[in-house]
Amino acid sequence: MTEYLATFHTHLAALKSHRALTGAGLTARMAPVPRKISSSCGTCVFYTADDPKESLLDSDTEAIYRLDADNAVKLKEFE
Amino acid sequence: MKKENFFKRHWLVMLCGLIVGAAAVVLSVLGNPKNMGFCIACFLRDIAGATKLHQAGVVQYFRPEIVGIVVGAMLMALVGKEFKPKGGSSPVLRFTLGAAVMVGALVFLGCPLRMVIRIGGGDLNAVIGLVGFILGILLGIVFLKKGFSLGRAYKQSKVEGFTFPVMLTFGFILTFIGVSFFASSESGPGSMHAPWYIALGIGLIVGAIAQRSRLCMVGGIRDAVMFKEFGLLAAFGCIILAVLGGNLLRALIEGVPVSTYIKFGFEGQPIAHTEWLWNLLGMTVVGWGCALLGGCPLRQLILAGEGNSDSAITVLGMLAGAAAAHTLKTASSADGTGVNGPVATIVCLVFLLIVSVTHLRKEQS
Repeated sequence: MTEYLATFHTHLAALKSHRALTGAGLTARMAPVPRKISSSCGTCVFYTADDPKESLLDSDTEAIYRLDADNAVKLKEFE
Repeated sequence: MKKENFFKRHWLVMLCGLIVGAAAVVLSVLGNPKNMGFCIACFLRDIAGATKLHQAGVVQYFRPEIVGIVVGAMLMALVGKEFKPKGGSSPVLRFTLGAAVMVGALVFLGCPLRMVIRIGGGDLNAVIGLVGFILGILLGIVFLKKGFSLGRAYKQSKVEGFTFPVMLTFGFILTFIGVSFFASSESGPGSMHAPWYIALGIGLIVGAIAQRSRLCMVGGIRDAVMFKEFGLLAAFGCIILAVLGGNLLRALIEGVPVSTYIKFGFEGQPIAHTEWLWNLLGMTVVGWGCALLGGCPLRQLILAGEGNSDSAITVLGMLAGAAAAHTLKTASSADGTGVNGPVATIVCLVFLLIVSVTHLRKEQS
């Protein structure tokens, strides 16, 4: 299992994605976006899964990161 | 990613809180009004007066701090490659919410930052304001949890992102080359100001470090309640500590009684009134409005500096709100609330309720 972090364009998108992830039985939590990731003060979702589970994330997702021991690796950025 | 300890994660924002608190005291020492060393609402109101959007002669001055904050944030964002113009999230609503926040702030007489600075000066009316502010944020959180959204922002052109900081800088330059171009108070709070270069310099420093640290007066309480994250709230406490410490030091250096600068009580506080209900509800409007907007007035300035045109629109709304507050006599003074202040506060609360209820979008997923 890998730890991921998704950022969103709105708080609502984070809320919906968190609900979809936990609804699918995954461990997920909402939190303020870490400063190292972005200067935005929005809400992100940390979650643990086998893959990034893009299909469960809201259409207003901004980016997906894989969290390694020391840093966050951006996997995909959305428009 | 390794989980760092609390201090490692939040030292910068706590330092920023200390710097903002110290800056407020320094600016007061150098000429800004007592307990109003640093107030985004007051400064924007003064700029609205300087640009003759309102005619209240005692609150007119093109405050360099505002220019400094926005430009400081812009420069820091450019250095950190974080200048990313975006916008388009309900601009008219954001403009109106910004105006409502300003109307509420001018009923209380201060933005969240000045509220904290007033607390640091012993003003217990500001503690009442803090209760209202927290109440407002909690109301905002209720709707955020229910699915409130003003919609997403989209990438914008560089020109869109630079327009607001450049416009502000241009206006500031005009204050030098056209002596009679803008109004400037000869008495009252607008006439009391630190030398422009110090005000601008402090604004630049605060803008830069607030961009790096994401200092936000609303975010502190929101993050603590919603996510049990206390970093921003700690910065909130740091501002109070710095103001208390700074005021104490000032009294000791000047050899005057401590009560000159820290006077616990309700009566006789600098640029404040004692009508507790309207202090409370005025800040409820501010807390609720800012929770819906996603940040306090200071944060809106920082985001505007990062190229966020939604925040720039919000600041323009605040300027319009300040103009309306003084033209329609809803703004308070040291004598008490303005003749239309209570009605305006209730209108703002009703407006916030309507916006909150009509923007619950959870069902549309």
